[in-house]
Amino acid sequence: MNSNPTPPKFFLRFFRWFCHPRMLDYIEGDLLEVYERNLKTLGKRKADWRFIKDVLLLFRPGIIRPRKPYQNLTPYGMYKSYFKIGWRTLLRNKEYTLINIAGLALSITCCILIFVLVKHHSGFDDFHQNEDRIYRIVTEQHRESVSFTNSVPSPLGMVLRENHSYTEKVARMFQEADAVISFERNGEKQLIKEPQGFAFTEPEFFDIFNFPLSQGNMKTALAEPNTAIITERLAKKYFGEQNPIGQVITYDNFLPFTITGVLEDLPENTDITTEIFVSYSSMKDFNPWLASDEAWGGITGGMYCYALLRPGVSPVEVEEALAPYVKLHRPESKNVHHYKLQALSDIHFDGRYGGAMEKSDIGILIAIGIFLLLTACVNFVNLATAQALKRSKEVGVRKVLGSFRTQLFWQFIFETAIIATLSILIALVAAFALVPYVNDFFSTQIPVNFLTDGTLVLFIIGLDVLITLLAGCYPAFILTGFKPVTALKGKLSMQQLGGFNTRRSLIVMQFAISQVLIIGVIVIMNQMRYAKQAELGFDKESIVMVGIGSDSLYSMKSLKNEFLRLPGIEKVSLCYQPPASENSWNNSIRFGSDTEEVNFPTNMKLADADYISTFDLELLAGRNLTPSDTVREMVVNEALLQSLGITSYEDALGEMIYANGGNMVGPIVGIVRNFHDRSMHAEISPALITTAGNMYFNYAIKINGQSVKTTLEEIEELWEAQNPDKLFEYSFVDDEIAQFYTAEDTLLKGIQFFSFIAIFIGCLGLYGLISFMISQKTKEVGIRKVMGGGVAHIIWLFGQEFVRLILIAFLIAAPIGWWFMNQWLQDFEFKITLDVWTFALAIGSSIIIAALTVGYQVIRVAYINPVLSLKTE
Amino acid sequence: MKDYQLGEFEEIVMLTVGILNNKAYSVAIKDEIEARLKRTVSMGALHTALNRMEDKGYLKSFSGESTEERAGRPRRYFEITALGKKAIQHAKDTRDELWAAIPKTIWQANLGGI
Repeated sequence: MNSNPTPPKFFLRFFRWFCHPRMLDYIEGDLLEVYERNLKTLGKRKADWRFIKDVLLLFRPGIIRPRKPYQNLTPYGMYKSYFKIGWRTLLRNKEYTLINIAGLALSITCCILIFVLVKHHSGFDDFHQNEDRIYRIVTEQHRESVSFTNSVPSPLGMVLRENHSYTEKVARMFQEADAVISFERNGEKQLIKEPQGFAFTEPEFFDIFNFPLSQGNMKTALAEPNTAIITERLAKKYFGEQNPIGQVITYDNFLPFTITGVLEDLPENTDITTEIFVSYSSMKDFNPWLASDEAWGGITGGMYCYALLRPGVSPVEVEEALAPYVKLHRPESKNVHHYKLQALSDIHFDGRYGGAMEKSDIGILIAIGIFLLLTACVNFVNLATAQALKRSKEVGVRKVLGSFRTQLFWQFIFETAIIATLSILIALVAAFALVPYVNDFFSTQIPVNFLTDGTLVLFIIGLDVLITLLAGCYPAFILTGFKPVTALKGKLSMQQLGGFNTRRSLIVMQFAISQVLIIGVIVIMNQMRYAKQAELGFDKESIVMVGIGSDSLYSMKSLKNEFLRLPGIEKVSLCYQPPASENSWNNSIRFGSDTEEVNFPTNMKLADADYISTFDLELLAGRNLTPSDTVREMVVNEALLQSLGITSYEDALGEMIYANGGNMVGPIVGIVRNFHDRSMHAEISPALITTAGNMYFNYAIKINGQSVKTTLEEIEELWEAQNPDKLFEYSFVDDEIAQFYTAEDTLLKGIQFFSFIAIFIGCLGLYGLISFMISQKTKEVGIRKVMGGGVAHIIWLFGQEFVRLILIAFLIAAPIGWWFMNQWLQDFEFKITLDVWTFALAIGSSIIIAALTVGYQVIRVAYINPVLSLKTE
Repeated sequence: MKDYQLGEFEEIVMLTVGILNNKAYSVAIKDEIEARLKRTVSMGALHTALNRMEDKGYLKSFSGESTEERAGRPRRYFEITALGKKAIQHAKDTRDELWAAIPKTIWQANLGGI
């Protein structure tokens, strides 16, 4: 038993906390005296209770401590002093300040831009009511391999609406991109090409999505056939100030629509791109098959189906309910459809279904941002600890005068905060100036007045605090750890200052990061060069594709002949599309005497007999097609034979091929060498070339190199003479092929940009460090020179350190870079191999960069006259 | 002499300080009041009252000896000041005046009324 029990500790402490200090002693004495007495007469329990009661009753005005004269609420004076001292330190060390601010500002600029970009992308289509119940139906096509499309057979939406009760609303939409629209303005006919085209849309679309009308009535706007709604922007573009309601726009000179409503402009953050919505019931004039309820046979790209599910319905239920329709309507097909529901919030991020931005890309961007921020912070830590020696006396004096370690700690944090805030201000200006370029680069429409954005302001404040703590903590910790005696005697050495090794490992880390980036740049550049310059198996130089203007085969042929008469034109072929193109018509064929269709898709290249010579395809066996307007003969590629398992060309010649459900039939008459029919990402697919006059959409025109411009003008003249009310369109085949790699080009430019910044920030740090090392070692260098050390020796003295660090960094970077780039290359069917040279180039370039950075300072100190450096003590 | 404001509790405390004469510190005052008046006094109320009267200048205090049972904390002794004496005297006088002014018959009437 405790001989001297004490009153409840907590309440005693509470009393001490609130009691007026002037009375504390007396009242506490009273309390204890009474407690003691109660203890003897009443026992511990009751004494405790009485004590607690007394304490609580003492908690009253008059006894509670006043706030004023005993507590200083604003340590403002101290902050002011910190600020002044911090500012003076920064001004005294201009070089370091500049390096730190430049590095931080650069990385913060990137962070802000990345934040804006990520925020923009994650806010897509988030303004619709019930957005969590909106789904798009997409298709997984299971053949030998699985492919994905964001479109569905057109009747699917109808059966989902009519046969099931899962949904509140279903809307079908068919978007025809690249449409030529004509309209009359001031009595004159105008032609305009809309890259986003127009969309046959069911009125329910506007019940599901929140796109309000500014003119017209949503209930009736798209009810009738041949009606259209356009956005305010387009209305202005087409009709100026005139009232757009009642005006007529015509698609491709045959399908007129009367405007019955005007939409408010689409927000920037939506994946709905078309700005012309026309009534779905007009589709029967555009494509009767697609408009019918029987179009289960295939999927037309652009045929979308959106559904608003009833509350509580899970998408899986709906997917299961849709499965039987595949069996019902496509019992035979080898292409088994699996219809899936894709949540609205996933549409923007699923690259398989044409999403604009993969989630992983967002991840990469964020990782880059964090990377850059870390590099800049590392720099800061590096320089600050290197400089710590200079501040040691100040710390010593402050400690002697009674400063606590926490106070000093916050003083240094405060200094860091000054730098961080300055950098952020600079970064904000820079980011503001750069936003238009970012928009251009990523083809986004981030508004430029982004500074009014609340979350961004929060982000910036958070960033400021984060950087301050991240960069400030370690140096502050080191600086405040000095013992005043050693600090004042000047006995601190660099080794004691929180480790030279810490600083070395930081430098190694920076070099490793930049080497990984350099490796990435080299590999991507090589692969791009390979992809763009590789032998494609056909001629792509100076071939221009010109769209056909007329539907009649006769006029096409006559125009072709007119083209051939032009002196600048070597060859012309009427065809469906060039040998390599992003989209192609893939068909399941039946071969020879087989009864079933093959289970691989065949790329259908429909073209006249001049195709092979125009594109310079190489015939390996057999002969070219004989000219014909209908399907008569087939030329196939090696890949088709390989897929069929035929090894000898002779076996294949003469065998029949049945394509397009048996209505394109002909014997194989020739075999061409494989040509790349898609990008280097994909394997070469089986392909066949055959004549089919009703399927030609382009003239492929081989121009002889000299006078491309005049020849093009002549082509246009002839073309327009034949098709006066059509829009002349052309593109070069090599440009189109370069378009396959847009994503990679963007990636390359992005990674180049970021590696430049990372390297730049790294160099800043290196420069700061070398200048510090040199200022520390000037005397050593002087003594060495007096003792007979040469310039080369001195340079090596500094250089070896950096070479060693770079080598260590390389050992870390090489495997990481190899792994990442190997992963990246897996995306390509045709790729370069990672060779030693890539890595040699990476390490070579980082040594050169490091040498350039430290070179000037090192050489200067190596050549300095020892008299100068040793004279002063 | 316009206001010597004294509350009922304050007056009791003042008087008790007077009774204890030189030995008046909080616990003793509390005990004295509790013993004589059979009412409990909370430490909080007492200290507030003492402080208030010290502020008014009716009481003054000085620090006294510290004992072991108080864990070394000193006692704070109170003394009535001249002003304080006037104040309680004034209080008593006003009471007496009022008492004197009550007609004698009241008492009888009251008794008769029972």
